[in-house]
Amino acid sequence: MMLAAHDLGWSARGAPILRGVSLEVPEGETLGLIGPNGSGKSTLMRLLCGVLKPEAGEVRLAGEPLARMSRRRAAQWLAMVEQQAETADRITVRDAVELGRTPWLSPLRPWSAEDDAIVAEALAVVEMSGLAARDWATLSGGERQRAHIARALAQRPRILLLDEPTNHLDIHHQLSILQLVATLPVTTVVALHDLNQAMSCDRLGVLQHGRLVALGKPQEVLSPALLRDVFGVRASFLTDPADGARIIRFHAVS
Amino acid sequence: MILPPGRPLARLLGRIVLHGAWIALALAAAILAGVCIGETAIPVGTVWRTLANKLFDAGHALDRIDQGIVWNYRLTRAIVAACCGAGLAVSGVILQSLLRNALADPYLLGISAGASTGAVLVTVAGVGAGAVSLSLGAFGGALAAFLLVALLARASGGGVGPRAAGQIVLAGIAGSQLFNALTAFMITRSASAEQARGIMFWLLGNLSGARWDNVGMAVPVAVAVTSVCLWHARALDAFTFGTDSATALGVPVRRVQALLIGCASLATAVMVSIVGSIGFVGLVVPHAARFIVGVRHVRLIPAAALMGAMFLIAADVLSRIVVKGQVLPIGVITALVGAPVFALILVRRRPAR
Ligand SMILES: Nc1ncnc2c1ncn2[C@@H]1O[C@H](COP(=O)(O)OP(=O)(O)O)[C@@H](O)[C@H]1O
Ligand SMILES: [Mg+2]
Repeated sequence: MMLAAHDLGWSARGAPILRGVSLEVPEGETLGLIGPNGSGKSTLMRLLCGVLKPEAGEVRLAGEPLARMSRRRAAQWLAMVEQQAETADRITVRDAVELGRTPWLSPLRPWSAEDDAIVAEALAVVEMSGLAARDWATLSGGERQRAHIARALAQRPRILLLDEPTNHLDIHHQLSILQLVATLPVTTVVALHDLNQAMSCDRLGVLQHGRLVALGKPQEVLSPALLRDVFGVRASFLTDPADGARIIRFHAVS
Repeated sequence: MILPPGRPLARLLGRIVLHGAWIALALAAAILAGVCIGETAIPVGTVWRTLANKLFDAGHALDRIDQGIVWNYRLTRAIVAACCGAGLAVSGVILQSLLRNALADPYLLGISAGASTGAVLVTVAGVGAGAVSLSLGAFGGALAAFLLVALLARASGGGVGPRAAGQIVLAGIAGSQLFNALTAFMITRSASAEQARGIMFWLLGNLSGARWDNVGMAVPVAVAVTSVCLWHARALDAFTFGTDSATALGVPVRRVQALLIGCASLATAVMVSIVGSIGFVGLVVPHAARFIVGVRHVRLIPAAALMGAMFLIAADVLSRIVVKGQVLPIGVITALVGAPVFALILVRRRPAR
């Protein structure tokens, strides 16, 4: 398994936030995490990348316990795009993306032409090459999000963790980011809000009150019963005549 | 050790030599200016000949008094000023980066006040009372002050983050007041009148006592702190989007924070124990340096160190020549420059939207 969590638990000031979460992500898979606000998606992501230390259980990368890896080596394995990460510093987009090279550099392994190429490619992939020299402060929310994704890509990780990466994005960039994530040859865990977009993941994990209540293929997981119990909505399923894909339409439970 | 591909490393070494050379030249020029300019101007030639006499036994014929002033007063004073400026500026860079706070500065955060308290404690308690124990006392005081202020900021809900900007400065004010009060208490309680006068004079920020043994302390500390900080330049960059982001980028956050805050406290403590607390250098210089070379720490740290050195030498020269026949406390000059800059940063940081 590329990424495995075993019985993860975490609490804040005595209140349990996440309990008994176990999951395994094979190489190359895109795992979607869904759940209502406050269900623990971000907390799980932060545990998976080691920003938070689990109180119970452990995370393994390709079999090796994350807790025993140096931060630097862990960052060579996994990159994380946080839900919110802001700065007041006067940096350019390129500066932000170049930060992604941090785990590969050291005082004795300085910046090289290869790093330049990786950064340029990451910028191109998120369609930000033209904005590379722009001041961070002048970017829109969506542009910042794409720059963060480019930063994570510049990290050249084997595993990519994305916390609601399509927030702030216009529909074109939502789709292109999701498509990009699907085609990248990396293992991906992505927290998503839009359940229809979640349908395109290889598998889905559903969080509710800090527990993983379902894990499996999107079609199996997103049943009317689960949507009612976890999200509190009534759902009807439609079929797109263009390609026969399933689409969920939501109604308030009356 | 296996060295990584040679080309970038060779280029890096080349850059270090090149930039090191002109920085050293600029620094030497600034120190030379600091030596020459004063109430009685000393010609550059006299300075050269003094240096030649002292360093290489050149045997130039020189006025004994001139030579004494250059070697024992002006030169030590300029070198110590340079080290203090560099040390305080680099401390400011460290604090601003790690606390994600544009207003962080050893003086505003009460670290200087804590260092003063520690140094005074050592003086009045008479523990050793050498330069080293004085610095150690100051170091203890500086660390204690930082911890207190950090805890206070956290308890007040600020913690370490972009929204904590006001909180930590308020905590710094509380910390400064507390430590200044402790210092005043100790001076009144335990110091003799003679001691008290000396301490008060030193507390205001004063370079006139700088001698060669101070140089022997200030230079290694300034060089070491700047180097350690430069070694961690990339880690400091990685804090751009906060501590979590730095962790995710592979920075061992706790270790780097402990090491670099320790460095900032050490630099502040040693400088305070030599010249008293000088405000605003750690605030003004990093911002000016950022304005010129940008936010990346590989360039910001050397730039801040150099500009800090020049700024304090200039401030010292000014403090000696502004009022005829009198020496102003150097803190007066730095505050006259620093307070408006502080105001400017406050105004510019007003939420944009
Ligand atoms: N550091 C923290 N301290 C206290 N509560 C927290 C902390 N982090 C998260 N929580 C709480 O844990 C719950 C889950 O949060 P989160 O993982 O961000 O949910 P999601 O990303 O699914 O919206 C929320 O109720 C949140 O308030
Ligand atoms: Mg979240």
